[in-house]
Amino acid sequence: MPEIATATSSPITAKALKITRIEPETRWAGFGLKEFWDYRELVYFFIWRDVKVRYKQTALGIAWAVLQPVLTMLIFSLFFGRLGKMPSDGIPYPVFAFTALVPWTFFGSGVTMSSSSLVTSANMIKKVYFPRLAIPIASICAGLVDLAVAFLVLLGLMGLYHLAPTARVLWLLPFIALALVTAIGVGLWLSALNVQYRDIRYVVPFLVQMWMFATPIAYSSSLVPAAWRPLYALNPLVGAVEGFRWALLGTNTAPGLMALASSFGAAVLLITGAAYFRRMERTFADVV
Amino acid sequence: MSDTAILADGLGKRYKLGAQTAGYRTFRESVTDALAAPVRQLRRVFGARSAVPEKGDFWALRDLSFELKRGDVLGVIGRNGAGKSTLLKILARITMASTGYAEIRGRVGSLLEVGTGFHPELSGRENIFLNGAILGMGQGEILRKMDEIVAFAEIEKFLDTAVKHYSSGMYLRLAFAVAAHLEPEVLLMDEVLAVGDASFQKKCLGKMGEVASEGRTVLFVSHNMSAIRELCTTGIWVDNGRVAATGDVDTVVHNYLKTMTAGAFEFTNHDLGFTIQTVKLRNGLEEETCMFQPGDDLIVDIHYHATRDVESPYLMLIVEGIAGKCF
Repeated sequence: MPEIATATSSPITAKALKITRIEPETRWAGFGLKEFWDYRELVYFFIWRDVKVRYKQTALGIAWAVLQPVLTMLIFSLFFGRLGKMPSDGIPYPVFAFTALVPWTFFGSGVTMSSSSLVTSANMIKKVYFPRLAIPIASICAGLVDLAVAFLVLLGLMGLYHLAPTARVLWLLPFIALALVTAIGVGLWLSALNVQYRDIRYVVPFLVQMWMFATPIAYSSSLVPAAWRPLYALNPLVGAVEGFRWALLGTNTAPGLMALASSFGAAVLLITGAAYFRRMERTFADVV
Repeated sequence: MSDTAILADGLGKRYKLGAQTAGYRTFRESVTDALAAPVRQLRRVFGARSAVPEKGDFWALRDLSFELKRGDVLGVIGRNGAGKSTLLKILARITMASTGYAEIRGRVGSLLEVGTGFHPELSGRENIFLNGAILGMGQGEILRKMDEIVAFAEIEKFLDTAVKHYSSGMYLRLAFAVAAHLEPEVLLMDEVLAVGDASFQKKCLGKMGEVASEGRTVLFVSHNMSAIRELCTTGIWVDNGRVAATGDVDTVVHNYLKTMTAGAFEFTNHDLGFTIQTVKLRNGLEEETCMFQPGDDLIVDIHYHATRDVESPYLMLIVEGIAGKCF
C-alpha cells in the first residue's frame, strides 16, 4: 500500500521548494492533520457551496431547516405528549421535544448527507488531489447553518411558553461541539464504508432511525434507571440532548457524569472513524 | 540534482483482476463471503480444489523511471491504455503507486480535466472561486486573477448567471480559463486543451504555449502529436506500462508514429450501397506511412465496394489541423 508524505523544506536546495514524495505505503501515515489544515480554505469553500446550493436549489429554501424538526415536534407532541402522557421533566412537552430535536436534526441530517458525500463527489476524487477528509467534514459543517436557524425557532417557541434562557445558555457551545464531533466520527465511518460497499446507503436511514430511539428525544433520560445512565450515555447524543435541555430549560438532570460518558463515546467514534477513513482513503480513486 | 523537478524511479501500479476490478462491492457480499469462508476452508482440507483459478494481477504501469529538469516540458505519448493516465494520476497523488518512488520539487498543479467540481446551480463567479480552490489556488490569488479569467473566458455579461444556463461553449471556456490561470511550479496536464470553437481552441493553444514557455515544468499527456511537438521539448513514449522510448520530442514522436500502421484509420460507413473498405496513405517512395514532412507527396488509396451502380462518384478529402484550421 502506497503512502504519501509532504515536507516543506530540503537541505539541498537553497530556495525552499515544496517536495512531494510518492512511494508505496509501509506504515501508518498519521491523520494528516497538517495537510488538512493547509487545505482549510478548500474546506471553507465546500461548506459555502453546500450551504448555497441547498438554499438555492430547493423551493422551500431555508424553510427546510425549520420544517423537519417542527413537524416532528408536532407529531411527537400529539402522540407521546398528549395521547401517551409521556413525562417531560415538568417542561411543556412541545418545548421539551423541540429542544432535543434541534441537536438531533443536525446530527441525523449531517450523518445522512456525509455518508453519501464521497460517492457524489466521485468525479472530483478521480480528477484532483486534496485531503479527502474535506468532503464529509464540510458536508456536516454545512448543517451548522440549519442548526442556527432551528435554534432561533426554538427561542421563539420558548417565548410562547414564557420560558427565558439564562446565562447557562453559553453551555450550549460544548454540547454543539459534542454533536458535531459525533456526527463527524459517524460520517467518516459511513462515507468511507459507502465507497467500498455501495449498499451502506440502505443501512443509513435505518441506523439513523434506530439511533433516534436510543436517544432521549421523545422521552426523558430520567426514565432510564440511574445505575444504567452512564452506560446509556455512551451514546454521545444522550449527552448532547440532555445538555441542551439542561442549558436551556434547566431540567434537573445534571449532565456531569453523562456528559463525560458521552464525550468518551464521541472521542472513540471520531478517532476510529478517522483511522478507518485514512486507511481506506488510498483506494478511493480506484474504487469509487 | 537541485535542478531536478520530477524524479521517478521504478514506478508501478498494480490492479487486482477478478472481483475487485469491478470496483466497489456490497457489504452483503462481504458478509456472505466471510460466512462462506469456513466452508471453503473445509473443502480445501478435504481435497476439493477450488474451481476458480487465481485471476492474478494487472500492471497498468511497470518499473517506470525518468527524470525531468526544471523548465522541461515533457510530452507523454502512447496508445490508449498504455498507462499514460495512470502515470499522471500517480504523480498527481490521485491514486497510489504500488511500487517505486517519485519526488516532485515545487508546488504541483494537476489538470486532468477542466471544470472539476463545477456546480450547475452556482454562478460563473462562484464557480471560479470553487474550481480555483479545488485546483489549489488561494482566495487572494483567485481574487487577483478574477478579471483576467473572466476576460479570457469571454463571459463578462453572464458572470452572475448560474452556469446551468450557459451554453456548452461558454461552460468550457470558463472551465479552461480557470485552469489556464493556475500557476504552479510543476504542472501535470492531461488532454485538456482545445475546447470550445475553433477560435477559442487557438486561444487555448496559445495560452498553453505561454504557460510552457514561462519556465514552468510541465508534464503533458496527449494523443495530439502536433500539439505535443509544438509545446514539448522532450518526449516519453509509454507502451504497455513501460517506457518504450525517451529523449528529444521529435525523435520520440517520429518513432512512435512509425509503429502506427495505416490500418489504424477509423471510419464509419453509412448504408448507401457504397462502402469504404480500406484507406491507406503512402508517401512519394510508395511506403505506407502515417507521417509526412512538409513537401512530401501524399497518396491516398481508398478501396470501396459498391453494391449498385454509382454514377460519377464525388470524393471529398478534408485535411484538418489541431485548431480546426483547414489546410
